[in-house]
Amino acid sequence: MNELIPLMVIVPLMAALLISAFSRFNTVTKIFALVVAICLPIIPLASNYGLHYFGGYEPILDNVTNAVYHPAITYSFTFLQQVFIAMVGLLTFLVVFIYLTKYRKVSGPYLFLLFLGTAAVTAMLLTDDIFHMFVFFEILALAQVGIVAASSINYSYEMALKYMILGSIGSPMMLLGIGFLLAMTGTVNVTDIAAAVHNGLINVTSPVFLMSLALIFFGWLYASGLPPFHTIKSGIYSKAEPHGAALLQSFTVISMISIVLIMFRIYSTLPIFEVLIVFFSILAMILGVSMALTQTDFRRMIGFLAVGELGFIGLGIGLGTQFSITAGLFQALNEIMITALLFIGFGAIVNATNEVDTRKLGGLLAYHPKVSLMLLIGGLAMAGVPPLSGFQSKLMLVQASLSCGFPEISILAIMVSIATFVVFVKTYYSMFLKPKPNDLEVENKEVPRAMIFAMGILLIIIILLGIFPDIVINGISNFVGGIL
Amino acid sequence: MAQTQLIILMTSAALIIIGFYSAIFVDNIIKKIIGISFIEEGVNLFIVAIGYKAGGIVPILMPDMNTTWFASNAAYPLPFGLVLTSIVIGASTLAVMLALVMVIYKKYGTLSTKVMLADTSKQEEYNE
Repeated sequence: MNELIPLMVIVPLMAALLISAFSRFNTVTKIFALVVAICLPIIPLASNYGLHYFGGYEPILDNVTNAVYHPAITYSFTFLQQVFIAMVGLLTFLVVFIYLTKYRKVSGPYLFLLFLGTAAVTAMLLTDDIFHMFVFFEILALAQVGIVAASSINYSYEMALKYMILGSIGSPMMLLGIGFLLAMTGTVNVTDIAAAVHNGLINVTSPVFLMSLALIFFGWLYASGLPPFHTIKSGIYSKAEPHGAALLQSFTVISMISIVLIMFRIYSTLPIFEVLIVFFSILAMILGVSMALTQTDFRRMIGFLAVGELGFIGLGIGLGTQFSITAGLFQALNEIMITALLFIGFGAIVNATNEVDTRKLGGLLAYHPKVSLMLLIGGLAMAGVPPLSGFQSKLMLVQASLSCGFPEISILAIMVSIATFVVFVKTYYSMFLKPKPNDLEVENKEVPRAMIFAMGILLIIIILLGIFPDIVINGISNFVGGIL
Repeated sequence: MAQTQLIILMTSAALIIIGFYSAIFVDNIIKKIIGISFIEEGVNLFIVAIGYKAGGIVPILMPDMNTTWFASNAAYPLPFGLVLTSIVIGASTLAVMLALVMVIYKKYGTLSTKVMLADTSKQEEYNE
C-alpha cells in the first residue's frame, strides 16, 4: 500500500491543525489526540516499501543524454525510514500519552506542536528533495521553539529566543547552500543532483560546490547540535518539559541523520567531507561528555550526554564504509530510545521532588525503586554495557574504526564511553544512593503510571535490540549498501 | 553573466553581509532581528537571481506558444517557486521571534540582548 507513504506526514499534520482548531472541546481533543498518536507507529509498519511521486509526475527519461529526471517531490520509503518513523511515532504516542494523563485540561497548541514536529521529521526522513527537506527543517525548528517556550520552566522564553536567533542564521546559510546546488545543477532533487555529481557533469573541485558543502554543513551542525551549537542544544533540552525533551532529542537525531544522508549522497566524492564529519563528531564526543561531567542540573547533564552520543552517530557516518554507516545509524536508533528513557525517568524525579540540582537530591532509591532501576538500566545502555542495545552499536563503531585503520579513534570512543559511564554513575549516586538530605521534601511520592508505562516500553525495546540486534542491522545495512 | 544578474547578486551579497553585521554585533534585539531578516531576504534575492534570464519571458505557457521556443526563452521558474515558499517560512519565523521578544521585553523592560539573554544557566529553578 504505497498510498500510505504520504499519509505518514499528512496524518500528524492534519491532526495538529484539527486539534489546534477544536481544542476547546477537551474530551474530544484528548480522544482524538490519543487515536492519532496510536496510528502514528502503525502506519509505517503497515505500509509497503516504495516511492511516492506527488502530483503523480513519474520520472522522465531524457532520450538524448539517457538521464532520468524527477519533476515531482519524491518520497522514498525503505526499511531505514520505516524503523525510524515507527520509532518516532511510538515516542510521540508515549509522550502524548504522558501529557494527556498528566493534565485534566489539555492545551491544543502544545499538542499541535508535538504533532507538527513529528510530521516535520517524518517528511525530512522521507523526502528526496533537498528544498522540501529545508522547508520541514524550518517547520521543525519552529515546533522545537514552541515546545520549549510552552514549558513552565523559568527562562524558557529566553532559551527559545536564543535558539531561534541562531536558527535564523543557520537556516538561511543552508538555503544559500541549496541555492548554490540549484545554480549548478538546475534541480533540487537529491537523486538528480547526485547523478549529476557522479556522472561528472559538475566540477566537484569548483569553489561554488565546496561553498555549498560548507553552507549546508553549517546548517547541519545547527540542526544536530554538534559544536559550536552543543550548549544551546543541551540548553533547550533542559528548558523543555521532560517528556517534551524526550521528543525534542528524537527530532534532533532524526534531522541529523536525514540531512547527513542527503549530504553523503551528494558530497561523498569529496574526501574533505568525511574528514569534516569525523572532526566535528569527535569534538562533540569530547565536549559533550566533559561538559556533562561539570553539570549539577541533571537535565543539562543528559542534554550534554545526548550531544556526546550524537558524536558517535556522526563518527559512524563519517568513516564512510557500509559497516560504519550501519553502526552509526543503529547508534542513532538506540540513542533515540535511551535518551528518551532517561529524560522521562528524570522527569518523574522532577515531578516527585521539584528539584533538579543533584547536590540537593539523595536517597530517592527508597522512594522510587522502579524508576531508579529503569534509569540505571537506561544509563548503562547509554554507556555501552552489555547486553543492552547501546553496547551493540558502540561495539560496531569501535570495530568499524579499527577496520578503517583508525585505532586511535576506537580508543577515543571507548574512553568517551567510560567517561559517559562515570558521569552517569556520579549523577545516579548523588540522586538515588547517597543519604537523603534533611531539607529535601519528596512531595509527590507517586510517579505517574503513564511515565512508568513509557519507560517500560522503551526498556523492553532497548533490551530486545541489545540481545537481537540483527532485527534492524540487516535491513539498515541493505539500505546503506544501496546509497553507497 | 548578464549585468543585471551581477547587480542582483552583488545586492544580495551586500544584504547578507549587512545582516550578519547587525545580527552579530548590534545589541538591540529588534535590530538583530532586522539583520536576520536582511540575511533571509539576501538569500531569497540570490535564489531569484539564479532564475534570471537576459531577455527571458515570464514562464507561463500560453496556448498559442510554440513549446520549443518557450523552452528556450522562458526564465527558469523553479527558483521563483522556492523563493515564494522561503518568504512564507521567513515571515513565520519572524513572527515567532517578535512574539518571543514581546514576552521577554515585558519581563525585563529593555531590548538589550546583554540583559535579556544573559547566561541563564547559573540562576535556574524549576517552577511547575
